[in-house]
Amino acid sequence: MLRPRVIVCLDVREGRVVKGTRFRGLRDVGDPVELAARYEAEGADEIVFLDIAASGEGRATLLDTVRATAEALFVPLTVGGGVRSADDIGPLLRAGADKVSVNTAAVRDPGLLSLAAERFGAQCIVISIDAARTGDAWRCWTHGGSVPTELDAVAWASECRQRGAGEVLLTSIDRDGARTGYDLDLTRAVADAVPIPVIASGGAGAAEDLRDAFHQGHASAALVAGILHDGLTTVGELKDRLQAWGVGVRPAPDRDILSGAEP
Amino acid sequence: MNVALFDYGAGNLHSLRKAIEACGVDVITTTDWAEALRLDALVLPGVGAFGHAAAALPEDRSAIRVALEGGLPCLGICLGMQLLFDGSDESDGAGIGLLPGRVRRLRSAVVPQMGWNDVVITGDPVFRDAAPLIAYYANSFVCEPTHAADAIAWSEVDGTRFAAAVRRGRTVGFQFHPEKSSVQGLRLIENWVTLSARGEADGGARGALEGGRP
Repeated sequence: MLRPRVIVCLDVREGRVVKGTRFRGLRDVGDPVELAARYEAEGADEIVFLDIAASGEGRATLLDTVRATAEALFVPLTVGGGVRSADDIGPLLRAGADKVSVNTAAVRDPGLLSLAAERFGAQCIVISIDAARTGDAWRCWTHGGSVPTELDAVAWASECRQRGAGEVLLTSIDRDGARTGYDLDLTRAVADAVPIPVIASGGAGAAEDLRDAFHQGHASAALVAGILHDGLTTVGELKDRLQAWGVGVRPAPDRDILSGAEP
Repeated sequence: MNVALFDYGAGNLHSLRKAIEACGVDVITTTDWAEALRLDALVLPGVGAFGHAAAALPEDRSAIRVALEGGLPCLGICLGMQLLFDGSDESDGAGIGLLPGRVRRLRSAVVPQMGWNDVVITGDPVFRDAAPLIAYYANSFVCEPTHAADAIAWSEVDGTRFAAAVRRGRTVGFQFHPEKSSVQGLRLIENWVTLSARGEADGGARGALEGGRP
């Protein structure tokens, strides 16, 4: 059985994991390599690094961070933020990312997706969609959720899939950071419209929210960030509760086995 | 032991390299087939598209086939496993042809298959201490071996059963990514390295060891 995934997202800036609102009040919370490995040990199915610096200098640092992480992390790593062209994707993959997520650049040039999928394979191209509700539909926003577009989120997801994206990272701007649950209507609308996996993102407050994302939102995976970084819960605790409700997530690894087999 | 990690020129080889090195062997990343076939074992990694990787194979596929049939231990991962077959519906270009069969598009409502899936294993020694196995997949295509006996493990997605792992002589293929399957995946790589170093990799199953390497 293909297991619903619990994915942990870390905001990375110039070689450190930071926390806070996206662009203000950032606080250093640790080393990305150590934190990623710790979340793997707790049972995270995948790790996402979101580069929130995206400056020229920050880019070189990001590649170093990805390289160091890939050597210590043995679950998949997705890297997003600041990808401007297909040429930016190759270096990230070569550095050790398994998948690269693209948002603004794909809106500006949708051909980027086809080019990237052809060159690297659809399975490593993730389309990141930041959507906010407008009336009965959802509109896509770019530049970290600051610039509205005319694109309908469901239609855009379908187009991206046709152009070669292998997965959708779907973030609800309305719910991001609110901890009141994922936007289930948005998640279901997109998941039912595209035959590729959809990751629900934005709004996770408790294990119930992940369960609902899988059962009601039809998501293949759920992204979690703040509630873990703030120590409100752990991946292991989330997974234990999901399993108790009959959600077939991959069990968190046995710590003894882990320490015995770690290289 | 020196393990050749063949580089088709696309994607992430870091985690795989690190996972193999952790078993106490040397890994040489190479784009040169002559060098790859001279070393003690060969790893075909799992990144990129079939056509692209097939284009990186030597014109004369028999050189690789003869080496593998002669007992060179080999591990093919995801696309690397698919390359062991005759060809793929994904793109033109012949595979290595060690295993009879073809690579077909995965029949499932959601493709690519992206995530952790249960693997039903056999008693093959490469799976020693690895049960129950849940492994990470990222694939749109699966192998259809002509001989079901070439498969040593199976998985199922959306009601379709497919070969999760194959073996022919000292060559093993995993459709999933052991280097992305956390502790259990690392154990499989360790098992493969141990078996390859010992020179008793095929668990007493089929032949292909005549004239094998030391």
